[in-house]
Amino acid sequence: MTVQSNGSDTGSLNTSRWLIPGLIILFCLVAFYFTTQFDQVPEILKRGIQPSDFPQLILLLLTGLACLLPFENIQQNRAAIPPSVFISLTLMIIFVLLTHLDFFIALGCFGGLLSFSWGERRLGALCLVTLLLPTFVFFLFDLVFEVRFPRGLLTNLWYG
Amino acid sequence: MEAIFSGLWALADPMLLFLILLATLGGILVGALPGLNATNGVALLLPFTITMEPIAAIAVLTSIYCAATFAGAVTAILINTPGTSASATTCLDGYPLAQRGEAGRALGMAAVSSTIGGIISVLCLMAAAPLLAGAAYKFAPPEYFALTVFGLSMLASIGEASSIKSIMSGAFGVLLATVGIDLLTTVERFTFGMNELTEGIGFVPVMIGVFGIAELLAQAGQLGIVRERITLRAIQLPSKADYKKTWKTILRSSGIGTFIGILPAEGATIASMIGYNEAKRWSETPEEFGKGSIEGIAGSEAANNSATGGAMVPTLALGIPGSPTAAVILAGLMVHGLRPGPTMFTEQSTFVFAIFWSMLLVNVLFFFIGLYGARIFARATLIPLTILWPMVFLFSIVGAYALDQSMIDVWIALIFGVIGYLMRRYGFSVVSLAIGLILGGMLEKRLGQSMVMLDEQWWLIATRPLSLFFLVLTVLALAGPALLKKIKKFKS
Repeated sequence: MTVQSNGSDTGSLNTSRWLIPGLIILFCLVAFYFTTQFDQVPEILKRGIQPSDFPQLILLLLTGLACLLPFENIQQNRAAIPPSVFISLTLMIIFVLLTHLDFFIALGCFGGLLSFSWGERRLGALCLVTLLLPTFVFFLFDLVFEVRFPRGLLTNLWYG
Repeated sequence: MEAIFSGLWALADPMLLFLILLATLGGILVGALPGLNATNGVALLLPFTITMEPIAAIAVLTSIYCAATFAGAVTAILINTPGTSASATTCLDGYPLAQRGEAGRALGMAAVSSTIGGIISVLCLMAAAPLLAGAAYKFAPPEYFALTVFGLSMLASIGEASSIKSIMSGAFGVLLATVGIDLLTTVERFTFGMNELTEGIGFVPVMIGVFGIAELLAQAGQLGIVRERITLRAIQLPSKADYKKTWKTILRSSGIGTFIGILPAEGATIASMIGYNEAKRWSETPEEFGKGSIEGIAGSEAANNSATGGAMVPTLALGIPGSPTAAVILAGLMVHGLRPGPTMFTEQSTFVFAIFWSMLLVNVLFFFIGLYGARIFARATLIPLTILWPMVFLFSIVGAYALDQSMIDVWIALIFGVIGYLMRRYGFSVVSLAIGLILGGMLEKRLGQSMVMLDEQWWLIATRPLSLFFLVLTVLALAGPALLKKIKKFKS
């Protein structure tokens, strides 16, 4: 019935032991509330089960299992999330924001910035992931698969 | 018999053969790159097959599956890092052999045993899948429901951390499958007024998220790792003495791998572990295992490649994925409007046998490509992470978008990338989530049909012999691992 750690992250482990099941149960409660808002169909049309029955069954299962989680006897040694992961996540947010400007520009910027943040300093490699690959993929999809990127600042130049 | 030849004839298209060759090369490349494996390789390339004919699309996906599973051995032997988790046991003896200057011999044995294992399993697939499909004609909705529950219960054994977490992940996947319009009643569920969600959450963006984007975030946390790489001079075929020493192991592991592959949700990783352990148990020189035993490589590689054919048996015959990668291929079948199950063997027999033949062809292809191209593919391990993962992101995002040309799929892929990363970090299996998502719709549909059939008396499901059989198996699958632990503890 214990969670042990020999790393420096014991505090976060103990927190996660209760926090994660707590968050899952909270999620299930909120989702369960939403299921109570689903339309109900008349008995004659319901064909076996009401639309809310099955999701509610799954949510009850999830809640029951989440209650068991803190009592699992599992040894874990989990290090803190490295800063590079947070940087990559931040870049994904920047990517999402840039897509409103242009999907192609967003892809190029993300590729270049990710590569740079992971330690790449060679100009050729940065050009490859920022310019060449997105351009190749853009034309591959446009000309071969006939998939059009969403319209934006740069793509409008090509689509007219 | 006619279907066998018509399947072979369908494959006699130069363009299709070229695509299979390309997919085999791509699969080997994917398998050789640490961090990428058959599952995320297939998930990433699935959107690229959308414009293809169904036979070409699924042949490409299965080719990547078979080739990537084999290629995991390249990095396992040369840099002591399994290219795929199924090759983890190959590291144990492959790397020590490579350190002794016998990397070529180790790769040669990996290629031979993988090919033999793969071919045996495809032959079993060709024989077993139609039989299983024939038997499945007797299934009514309650039997299908019980079978799907059994398939989901097998998730309990695939997580790295705990059975509870694996089942929770699967249940979360099943819950996600309820998003959208309920097909039985046309009531909207969890759509929050968003039109884009009325058709539900797409399999492909979720798979791209949990297998592609989540892996990118995981790799971000491993930037400082420096891997020692051993130079490969030339790959060599096993000697007579090697064959003599390993033929029994190869055959045994091929049988084990095929059987494990047929079990729902169990894939090449578990097959290779059992294959390796059995090779050690039956070996005359078990003390060599872990120090560079050629039998260890044969046991592991024959088992993991034979699991690929085995995994396709329940996937095609019952619509229940036999492995994580088969789950993605199942999603591919559904995206192409195909309905895996017994009717597929009568209504689309040419398609089914074309896939079987293509898998057989790939197993022969990767033998030659593995033998003569291993040196080139070994160089793939030199591709810097700083170039590889921006590339993976690019293909992931464009792949997610391309399917329906919808930005909502891109957001879903990104959100599930983050969810997948957090799930992995806290010991929840993303594979279970993917399988749950695929089986969720089927589970609810069968439950609804069973309720109608049994006049809403759900407990009558357990009164039907076949349903009861699957439900008993479910209980065993859930309670078995814990019981075995207790028995072992009691004995020791």
